[in-house]
Amino acid sequence: MLSIENVTAGYVEEIDILRDVSLDVKEGAITGIIGANGAGKSTVLKTIFGFLHPRHGKITFQGAEIQNHQPYQMKEMGISYMLQEHSTFPELSIQDNLLLGAWTFRKDKKQVRQRLDEIYDFFPVLSERRAEKATYLSGGLLRTLSVGKEIMSKPKLLMIDEPSVGLQPNIVIEIYDLLIRIAQQGTTILIVDQNIMKALEVSDYMYMLDMGQVKQEGPKKDFEEDIREMIKVSLMAE
Amino acid sequence: MRSLSSYPANSGTSKCKQKEDEAIDLHLFSQFLITGIIMGVLYCLMSMGINFIYGIMKVINWSMGEFFMIGAFTQYILLTFLLGADYWYVGVILSALVVFILGALVQRILIKPMFVGIIEAKMEYATIVTISMAIFLRNIAVAIGGPKIYTPPDYAGPTQILTLPLSGNRLVAFIGALILLGLFYYFIKKSWTGRAFQGVAQNRSGVQTAGVNVLKYDMLAFGIGTALAGAGGALLAPIFLVHPLCGLVPTVRGFEIIVIAGLGSIPGILVAGLSLGIAESLGSAFISPSFVDIYGFILLVIILSIKPYGLFGKPEREV
Repeated sequence: MLSIENVTAGYVEEIDILRDVSLDVKEGAITGIIGANGAGKSTVLKTIFGFLHPRHGKITFQGAEIQNHQPYQMKEMGISYMLQEHSTFPELSIQDNLLLGAWTFRKDKKQVRQRLDEIYDFFPVLSERRAEKATYLSGGLLRTLSVGKEIMSKPKLLMIDEPSVGLQPNIVIEIYDLLIRIAQQGTTILIVDQNIMKALEVSDYMYMLDMGQVKQEGPKKDFEEDIREMIKVSLMAE
Repeated sequence: MRSLSSYPANSGTSKCKQKEDEAIDLHLFSQFLITGIIMGVLYCLMSMGINFIYGIMKVINWSMGEFFMIGAFTQYILLTFLLGADYWYVGVILSALVVFILGALVQRILIKPMFVGIIEAKMEYATIVTISMAIFLRNIAVAIGGPKIYTPPDYAGPTQILTLPLSGNRLVAFIGALILLGLFYYFIKKSWTGRAFQGVAQNRSGVQTAGVNVLKYDMLAFGIGTALAGAGGALLAPIFLVHPLCGLVPTVRGFEIIVIAGLGSIPGILVAGLSLGIAESLGSAFISPSFVDIYGFILLVIILSIKPYGLFGKPEREV
């Protein structure tokens, strides 16, 4: 579905954060990217979504080259991206936050209404508090709202950056359960997380990044065998 | 404070005269109060424009006074040579449109390039561009129109509210400004585009993940913000008259209002605009018109010493 071939990218000239990175995301699967702080995990997602453009290499989504696209074009193609920092709007109501998630099909009022109802069915807690401003929500609920906003558009590919960061363990479990439910509905997921255990638990295929390069890749079972070593490496890198 | 009733009265007719003076005082007070309210609302147009551009792009447009001046000149040309005084409202719309196009072009050509990709010091760049633009536009106006003062035809003759005589131009400008502010508020709060603008202002990355093309919205915001100034210039043309520096006073007032209100608050701007207009008008009437430019600053200093974020401003919480 998504293919990254030999991508090199960075924020500042002459400093490469990603170096010759290649990876594939298969349709219908959950693909995980793990690695220590500064390994370049979030930069991969930013580069795919068009916040950064690669210096070298090619990114294709369903056969179309997208490495020079802008973020709004990615959304139109069916890619959603949940940022590590919240992607919600503090002074807007929960409903208006979700409605902005329907931006790409806003002219189809019937579809907007229908999708809003579906999201409220999926997240009853958001339905109950729909008129409240997002600024009054807890960290966990804000994350839930971010997910709701990003899946309003029924994306083909949902990219999620560090869904568990800054959340209590019980909320992390809820968020991951939520991601599994979304995947079960047919959405392909690319997830980046420092929480190796959680990422491993949900992913079908994994990549490990180190210093901007893919150090290891393989199906979940391959990683399960090396998990202790990986955690040790990850902790030492921090 | 000087008032008419403070002048000594003769003892014989003192009671009667005192009552008469009080009535005159109240009459004058009401008149100046209304004038203050009118001017306050008119200043709000400028503030709203500055605030809107800042909210979306985090850039202060220092050339707003010049866009106000272009609006005033456009209105003068339209009314004098093309439309005639009866169609002043068409002139206001066309002037706003001309300024919108000009503002959007300035943003597209001079400011947008700095907002594409990750470039440092873009705000500083935008500040220099808008200050340069102000100097450039002002000098262009002098080169074309000379250092003259042009007087557009009156929009309406003198009128009165109840027993209070009032300038027709001011009343018309006041009603026009209220309509524009109302439309702007409705547009921002109720339309999809307005919701997108709010999204851009609150979370620029988050709104991009929703699929909004922020660069396009930057351009639109700059155009709309300058158009508000242009509409203000057109509405105020017969009051402030038309000359290369006619945008200076409204710009200063515009910034004062934003500081008093607290950056980013639309209702705050209206309250602050009214407060400033009233303070200015009453200060001129009962203290001295010579210090008209100072009353706003005194109000600003008082408010900031009590509420450092302004009347409606608050420290930002990132969500």
